[in-house]
This record gives sequence, structure tokens and C-alpha cells, in this order.
Amino acid sequence: MQVALKVWRYDAATGDRALREYEIDAPEEATLLDCLDIVKDKVDGTLAYRKSCRMMICGSCGMRMDGAAVLACKVRMYDVAQAGQVPVISAMGNLPIVRDLVVDMDPFWDKFKAMKPYLQPGYDRPEDGREYRITQPRMDAIKKEALCINCGCCVSECNAMESDPEFLGPQALAKGMRFVGDPRDAATVERLEQYSGEHGIWECTRCFFCNERCPKGVDPRDAIAKLGAEAIKNGIDRDMGAKHAKWFVRSSETTGWLRETELVPKTQGIVSSVKQMKFAMNLISHNKAGLAFPPHVAKDVGEARQLHKIVREQDRQGAFGHIQGERALAKLAHGVHDEGRDPYGPGSFPKPYLPEDTE
Amino acid sequence: MRRVAYYKGCLASLSAKELDTSTQALAPRVGLELVELESVTCCGAGDIHEAEPDYYLHLNARILAYAEATGCDTLLTVCNVCTLNLRQANFMLKGDDTLRARVNKNLAEVGVPAYSGEVDVRHLLWEIAEGEGYELLKVAAHKGLKGLKVAPFYGCQILRPSKIMGFEDPDRPWSLERIIEACGGVAIDYPAKIKCCGFPIIQAREETALGELIQPIEQAIEAGADVMVTPCPLCHLSLDAWQQKLEAATGRSFKLPILHLAQLVGVAAGIEESELKFKRHIVDPRPALERLEV
Repeated sequence: MQVALKVWRYDAATGDRALREYEIDAPEEATLLDCLDIVKDKVDGTLAYRKSCRMMICGSCGMRMDGAAVLACKVRMYDVAQAGQVPVISAMGNLPIVRDLVVDMDPFWDKFKAMKPYLQPGYDRPEDGREYRITQPRMDAIKKEALCINCGCCVSECNAMESDPEFLGPQALAKGMRFVGDPRDAATVERLEQYSGEHGIWECTRCFFCNERCPKGVDPRDAIAKLGAEAIKNGIDRDMGAKHAKWFVRSSETTGWLRETELVPKTQGIVSSVKQMKFAMNLISHNKAGLAFPPHVAKDVGEARQLHKIVREQDRQGAFGHIQGERALAKLAHGVHDEGRDPYGPGSFPKPYLPEDTE
Repeated sequence: MRRVAYYKGCLASLSAKELDTSTQALAPRVGLELVELESVTCCGAGDIHEAEPDYYLHLNARILAYAEATGCDTLLTVCNVCTLNLRQANFMLKGDDTLRARVNKNLAEVGVPAYSGEVDVRHLLWEIAEGEGYELLKVAAHKGLKGLKVAPFYGCQILRPSKIMGFEDPDRPWSLERIIEACGGVAIDYPAKIKCCGFPIIQAREETALGELIQPIEQAIEAGADVMVTPCPLCHLSLDAWQQKLEAATGRSFKLPILHLAQLVGVAAGIEESELKFKRHIVDPRPALERLEV
């Protein structure tokens, strides 16, 4: 089949950037990585990209196709070529580009290392000297997180990291959950304290790009939610994000609806709230904030209060509360549920805009 | 008229009442009879999901159970976050009989009807972007938007995770554009239309949130947008109300009016301003609309 590709070439030494188009003949089963190999072998030997295993296990070939991070070895090109699409291939986001499709992974590995991604000793060993066995339910808590191959596709698209490059990010936090959830690890509380820092759990903006892009089904956002639940379960809730979350719980069982006006002081504390007064007054003047009187209380809110009491007694707090839903959610496939709809066909909107794409 | 259970959520009940009134006014014109739910609470907004996931599941199961008790097969939402939280809980309950049985037992204990899994959670956006709703929308939008340049802003939780939302391609969404065009507006394209507005962390990490918020606003203005439209009241709150903080932080003036989806369609359908309630916005959209004599 004929495959056409546009590739963003970049040379960090000179700062030269150019969008080059290549047309090649490739076997019908070819992946994006196969196509790049053909380009490099037959058309332009100077094209730079990373690769190793070619089978979705080494995590080397993360890059963007039409603005979305993918593993090049996982994307089959047949449908794209048949639809006459000319995808734009570029380097991953949120990491500095070294050359063409190669990014500098150092910032990624720095965060990875900061998570202490190894078991902290000190757990109770079985007295008879046998190996430590983990029960299946305990393993279930971290089985998705353990699938991570460190490719960086989630980091590439992280919206919070775009705004704050110091955010630990989806990969590091998912790795953190892999150890917080491991019963052999003796540093759960220390880890949760560390991960709850300024650039940790509560800086996640819940854009769900990481879940969408992960080629291995790790669902890093879900891992971050598990960390949040574990932190609150362990009483590590000084961060404003944790207080914010706890206020929703409190609101739901008292009035049923979010008590918006009290949300700022409950999250940020009184001093900070006073500083927000000018902003708040403007909202109040547009009826956007203010005390509802009489208070807006949901009918039968007592039921929610009783339910809260019951579920707390049943002790499914922390990550376990998240894991119990995973079996059902695993049945859902990513992408559009309506099989009949062609994402490239009529009625679909053009592909995401890329900077200087129109060149 | 199709009867649907209507879940307005926290914002449309309180700070974004204009979303509720414009939805109520629009619904009959697009063939929807709204059955309001009385005994429901907040969906947890992702916060209860994170803090106390088991309680989140029960809280949402309770909402779904009351929706099912109305006899409607659809629970209509007008907020991205409500849509994600309710759909997620719905899939957990539908896909796991053991889990549903346990939750129902707890619901029964506090006198809530059991949930059998017969409700589909759908956002207003999806109801009017295709099928009968779309056909009725084209008729209802008789006044048109006279070529108003509208920047669609989807927000995150109507697109992702796609396995839970599943309505359209999360990278190439089309529903808002289709509605804008059907109303006689011109849809503006810009990269941040599928990105985050920063709202979930706007209280706890304001600086990071503002770094996200500036992208859609800046890009939409650069692309020539007169107004922006969003299907999510949380995106609306951050885009509209926090725009002033963005102006203070950058020393620039944006003044980009942000409309709720039901308001934009409402303008094209000739719904009275007493229902659309533009004066509740921080950035007043009326000058942009008057200039075009919409």
C-alpha cells in the first residue's frame, strides 16, 4: 500500500524546523514504526527516532500522530492509508526535543526516580522463611499500574504539566500507586506524604488525557484517584486539594448540594479567603455566589447521610473503593461506542490543529 | 415529546441558574419533556469519587435509582462533570451484578428504590447533535445566529475517558460544531477546544489552573471568535468568572463572552432574555450579540 506521512523535523543545534512529506510503499500490515523504518532505509537516512522492541513492551517509540501521543509500533497504518489521510508525525509534548522525533527523557526519569520506585524494606517476613505471598485482591489493587512501560505517552499530553512543568505527572504518580498499593512496601505513609506535596496528587487537573493515551491500559488518572483516596484514608489531608474533596463529602450529606460559598474558606483557609474578597464581591454582584437563604437543601438528604454512615462501616475506603469498579469498567473499550461512525468520514470534524500545520 | 429525567446538578441549581432556566425553556422546542428529580444530591463532582469512592458509587446509584423510578429511560444532564460521574457509576453498576446487588442492599436499608440498570445517562449536547433532537433543533433555531463566530469549547469530561463517554471521537469531536452551524453560526477551530479549563484545581492550584485557562481564551480570540460556547457549567465558571483573574495576572484585556450551550441555541431559537439571563454573566455577552442584531 502507498503511505504518505508528514514528519516534523527538528535540529536542536541550529533550531531549524521543517515539515517534510514522505511517500512510501509499505506492506498492508505495516505499523507507523515500520513506515518510519522504510523512510529511514530508503528515503532519508537522517530521520531520527527511538525504537527497540517493535512489540509494545520497551516503551521507546512514543511520538505524536496528528497531535495525539502513540506508540509507533502499535498503530497500524492500513485504515489511515485507505482513507487517504496524511498524518502529521511529531515529537511527544511536555519534554524538550533533541532531534526530530527524539525527546530528552531526563525530566521524565528525574520524576520517576523521585517516586522511589522500589520496595522499601521493613515489611513482616513470613516466620517459616518462605517467600512472601500476596493475595489476589491485594495484587488487583496495583495490576493496572504494574503494566506501565515508561513510554511517556501520558506525560506528553498532561494538561497540568503543560502549565506547571514541575508537576510529578501521570507516569510518576501511577508508579507511586504501584508501591503504595503493594503490601510488601513499608513506606506507605511516607510515600503518601511525599506525593501529597505541592506538585503531587492534588495538582492533577482531571483532564483524562493520560487515560486516553496510555497504550497499555494503566489509566494513570485512576491511579492518582486511588492515591487521593489512600491519602485521605490515612489522614494525610492538609493539602488544599484534599480539603476541597472532603468539603464535597460534607456538603453532600448535610444539604445534598455543594455548599459553594463555604468552599473557598474550607479549601484555602480564612486568611486566603479574605484576600479573595474583591473577586468574590464581583461574583456576588452577578448572583454567582453568596449565601442561599433559606439554604438550598435536597429533599430526603437524610438518606445520603445514612448511606455515608453505612458505607463507612463496610470499610471500602481508600483505593479498594476504586478497585471494586474496575472489573465492570474493564469491559468497556476505548473509542467511540457507535461502530458505524467513521472518525475520518463525513460528519467528522477535521483533525486537531497542529502549530504551523498549514505550511 | 420524549420524557426524560432531568438532573441539573449543583451549578445549575445555584450559581449557574441561567443554565437551568435556558435549558427548561429550550427543552420543549427540541422535543424533550423534563421530569425534574426532587430527592437527588450532588454527584460528587469527581471530588467524592477521589476522596471516598464507595460513597461516591452509592450517591450516584441513588440518583440513578430515582431517575429509573420516574419510568424514563434517559437521565438528562447539562454538565460534563455530572455526566462523567453518573455514567461511570452507571457502567460499574450495569457491568457487575455482585456490586449492584451490594449497593442495592444498602440503598434498600435507607429506603431508596433499587436500581436495575435501565437508565442511560446522556448530556443535552448529545440529544440535540443528532437524531430527532437535531432535526427539531434545526426548526427551532429559526432566528439564526447571522454568522456569529462561535468558538466551541468541549471541556474534558464530555470527551474523555472515551470508554465512558463514547459519543464521539475525543480527538475529533463534531457535535458542538454541528449545532453551531445548524443555528446559523460559524464554528471557529482552535487547538485548545478539547483541552482542560483548569477548573478542578482552580481553588487548590490557581496558578496552574490559570496556565490552562489562558489557552482556549487566547486561541479563540486569535481565531476571531465573537463568543465561546461550552456544554459544561464548570468550564463556564472558570472561563467566565476567572477570566478577570487572568486579565489581572497578564495585564491584558480579553472580554470574551462565554455562553452555555442551551443559551446559544436559545438565542437562535428566539428564547426571551428573561430565560437566558445574560446579566448573570461576568463578561456580558449582550454587546457581542447586539452588534450582530441577533
